[in-house]
Amino acid sequence: MAEPSLTGAPEPGEVSSAEKALLQRPSFGIRARLALGFLAFFLLAAAVTAAAWIMLSRLEVRLKFLEVADRYTLEIQQARRFEKNYFLYGTNLQDVQEHVANARKLLGSSEAEVFKVLSAADLRRMRDHLDRYEALIQSLVEMEKNAPADRAAKQAAVEVEVRAHGSQMVSFAMELSQKERNSVNQTLALFKRLPVAFLIVLLLLVAFIVNFLARQMLGPLSRLMATAQRIATGDFTPITPARKYRDEFSDLAVALNTMMREVAHRQEILVQSHKLRAVGTLTAGVAHELNNPINNIMLTAEMLKEDYTTLSDAERLEMVDDLVGEAGRSQKIVRNLLDFAREGEMETESLDMAELLRRTAGLAANQIKLTGAKILMDIPENLPPVYGDKQSLSQVFLNLLLNALDAVQKGGSVRISAGGGKEDPGYVSVRVSDDGHGIPPHVLPYIFDPFFTTKSKGKGTGLGLSVSLGIVRQHGGDIRVQSSPQEGTTFTVLLPAAMVPGLGERPC
Amino acid sequence: MDERLSVLVLDDEPIVGRRLQPALAKIGCDVEIFEAPGPALERLKEKAFHIVVTDIRMDDMDGIEVLERVMERNPETRVIMITGYATVEMAREAEAKGAFDFIAKPFKPQELRDVIAKAADSLGFHGVAHAAVPDVP
Repeated sequence: MAEPSLTGAPEPGEVSSAEKALLQRPSFGIRARLALGFLAFFLLAAAVTAAAWIMLSRLEVRLKFLEVADRYTLEIQQARRFEKNYFLYGTNLQDVQEHVANARKLLGSSEAEVFKVLSAADLRRMRDHLDRYEALIQSLVEMEKNAPADRAAKQAAVEVEVRAHGSQMVSFAMELSQKERNSVNQTLALFKRLPVAFLIVLLLLVAFIVNFLARQMLGPLSRLMATAQRIATGDFTPITPARKYRDEFSDLAVALNTMMREVAHRQEILVQSHKLRAVGTLTAGVAHELNNPINNIMLTAEMLKEDYTTLSDAERLEMVDDLVGEAGRSQKIVRNLLDFAREGEMETESLDMAELLRRTAGLAANQIKLTGAKILMDIPENLPPVYGDKQSLSQVFLNLLLNALDAVQKGGSVRISAGGGKEDPGYVSVRVSDDGHGIPPHVLPYIFDPFFTTKSKGKGTGLGLSVSLGIVRQHGGDIRVQSSPQEGTTFTVLLPAAMVPGLGERPC
Repeated sequence: MDERLSVLVLDDEPIVGRRLQPALAKIGCDVEIFEAPGPALERLKEKAFHIVVTDIRMDDMDGIEVLERVMERNPETRVIMITGYATVEMAREAEAKGAFDFIAKPFKPQELRDVIAKAADSLGFHGVAHAAVPDVP
């Protein structure tokens, strides 16, 4: 896009290409993004639930096994108690056997769990102790039955061994229980940390999602806000895509583009209708101005006819030359107005402001004569050119000039001056000042509002300044006004000088 | 009456003067042509013209002012105003200030001659203007 800011209505191609670009992106709506965010939450919660489930199941198994280990220890301890009784009083040997058998059964039923807690070597040694103990008890039972002669001596020998294995068995059982208890405690400690970890991850996730969504929503929002401000200044450059994905904001952008096209179109109509009004004002003056050459033609033609036979050839030729000259003068007057009135596309070109201002003053020549105002032109020849539409800028200056002529009294003066814009570098400033009655301070803020007018009904549309400001803003410029009842009014039009690099290229 | 009718024509369009000079001379007027109000007013100080024909709208001074000066100096002079645009106010103002008649641009030489003849009549130059007119083919 070369000079998008200078064209009131963006070219159809430009708009449709911007719209196509906006719509052609893959869609990734705000709804999808929200859904994705909540899916992340759900997945986190599901993961935590699963982890809790697994841990609880493991804990359950552990607790069951702990129970088994405790019971095993209990059985062993019971067996040892009865064993002591047997050695003291000779009773309960049967009970010892029973409890040992119970212990063996318990060990057999949860061998896999035991294996997890104890090392293979320990398990084997534990088993060996149990086997040996059982065998010793069995031998004692045999001894009771057969009652051998050296029973007391043999019993004493077995007793030592039984006590040794018994104590070993107890210590192994205690160790098993202890280790399992430790393991359960560890699992519990881990389980206690889980909610904390969940909370931390949740916090991070929330922070990320909030940040992400905020960026996704606030970014386009602030961009659209900037666009709205840009539109307010009269820049109707269509919005182009800034991101990879299309979402609800893209639809809004498309709607804004459509709105801008409509507004630009309306603005053009407004500019045109106001121009026609200016043409109406000028036409009255032009009609008077035309009277002079027509009168000259009339007088010359009549006299030529009247004195045709008496005139010399040279005199006749002079009169014919006058006729041709005056006809040409009429043509020029009419063409100037028609040039201005012509409805046309806005065309941007490099403009010589001095020439443009002179032509504009020429257009209003008759209004100037009618008012009897003096026009002072102070335009340096070395003004930088301005890039813009000749017709609409001419309309702006004509409008300011006609306003100034309305304001001045008979014999007042209107000064048109231009400069390189010392206060605003990069701009060409054109001042139209009058020494009229000034604008009352209480209406000054409203003079650029559409349909605001201080002129009597039917004399002004109240669109002149509004349309002028619209045109100037489209050119990337501004209009400023200063007014006081003593010194009159000065309108300053600032337009970007064409030599500034990058002028007319607006980042989209 | 032996005196010839003296006419001063003031219009800032040179062609007007160039064409009216012979046109009015034909009906027996002494015509003096001016394109600017300044020299014309100077001349009016020197000589009391019977008739002054002036354009109303000129760059330096408007015809109303010329009318005022002429009336001050010589109320007998018949002033004929040439108007490009005849507004009611201006006509009323000119009439109040003593203008004899108006003629609107564009006009034919004969129309001005008729107005001048009327003015001549009112000054007592009976027949002077009319006598010259039959020349017209």
